[in-house]
Amino acid sequence: MQRRDLLAGAAALSGTALGGAYVTGFIDPLGSTGSVEHVELESIDAPGSQAGEITVPQQGTVTVLEFFATWCGVCSRQMEPMGAVYDDLGHHDDLQFLSVTNEPVGRTVTREDVANWWADHDGRWTVGLDTDLTLTERLDASGVPYTYVIDRSNTVAYAERGYKAPDELADPIERTLETR
Amino acid sequence: MNRHSNAPSFDRRRFLTVAGSGVVATMAGCLGLRGGNDNVVLDEPDAYDRTVEADVDWPIYGEQIPTATVPAPLLDRSVTTTEFTGERHTLFTFIFTRCPGACPGLMAVLRHVQADSVENDYADEVAFMPITFDPEHDTPSVLEDYEQRHGVERSLEHWFTLRPETPERAQEVVEETFGCMFERTEDAESDSEGETMDMAFMHTSLVLLANKDGYVERAYTGDVPAPSTIVDDARTIVEGW
Repeated sequence: MQRRDLLAGAAALSGTALGGAYVTGFIDPLGSTGSVEHVELESIDAPGSQAGEITVPQQGTVTVLEFFATWCGVCSRQMEPMGAVYDDLGHHDDLQFLSVTNEPVGRTVTREDVANWWADHDGRWTVGLDTDLTLTERLDASGVPYTYVIDRSNTVAYAERGYKAPDELADPIERTLETR
Repeated sequence: MNRHSNAPSFDRRRFLTVAGSGVVATMAGCLGLRGGNDNVVLDEPDAYDRTVEADVDWPIYGEQIPTATVPAPLLDRSVTTTEFTGERHTLFTFIFTRCPGACPGLMAVLRHVQADSVENDYADEVAFMPITFDPEHDTPSVLEDYEQRHGVERSLEHWFTLRPETPERAQEVVEETFGCMFERTEDAESDSEGETMDMAFMHTSLVLLANKDGYVERAYTGDVPAPSTIVDDARTIVEGW
């Protein structure tokens, strides 16, 4: 392969990465439909979040889930639209709304670091840990931020990488809430 | 930056064309050109034939890790990329810290393996070598902050953030020795979604995982690999050794 082609490939890679997610997808991340097996995640003590265990996704509710990492700049930017959507739709009884970090938490990055990041970014809903990547793997979340809307039967209705404006998030959530 | 300063969408299409042809090659089946690979633990990667055929510049499955000696300024020493041969499995990636897109993901992937190596007791069997190709900006203190931000554990003496001394040396090591292409871009460009951002380089997104004998087990390129993919592969090599 000629250098020119390689550079073209390289440019494409970076080009797709510019949006802020690792790469904005040209492949279907899930590749298949079907329900997602739930996982027990640790939730941490942070604004709007209590230390405990949560079942994700919670069958019978619509789940809005965003994977993030504290090192991720785009994830910082994503907190504002997430907050707007949470304020707008978070009151629904049958909506599970949470953010999950899948970075290695426990040693260098502590629960307190995550909680501080959360407070700094005006987080006000449940925040959980997927340190062992179980849920990340199950949903094939290959980057951060990565947002999912999962319907009441635990089937993924929406999965998108990268920055999303409030409208882009609200649409699939409202649609999924309306689907019975 | 004149050769491909045209729209990224053009380049993207080129890339998709290459990816598309890979599907055809895979469907056409094995080309039967390679010999056995006794030097590696992992099975042949997907689309291996296509990668061989494409004659990419970076080392792929079963090839040896190239040799270069590069300063590790945070440790006040130099590291030769092959110096752990016989002792540790190695992971390499190629980054610049101003990078908003792929690079943090590449660092995170290495961090996940580091965390897993601690958790599962193989920290002294692996070494991590992220290499910057932007030494002008990535001074030792910038690199230290970057490690900190990513939660790199520094006490384990297996993480070596490498910094070629000059842009010319970065070119030699990263591009000519490891075959990882990078090219300086204009400072502000628009991506395909019209978002303006500050991108100093375009580059191949590449992670290399090599075994203790110094042979590449996997070259992850294209999309940033899922952390669990590399963690699984690293564990497989550690266990299969």
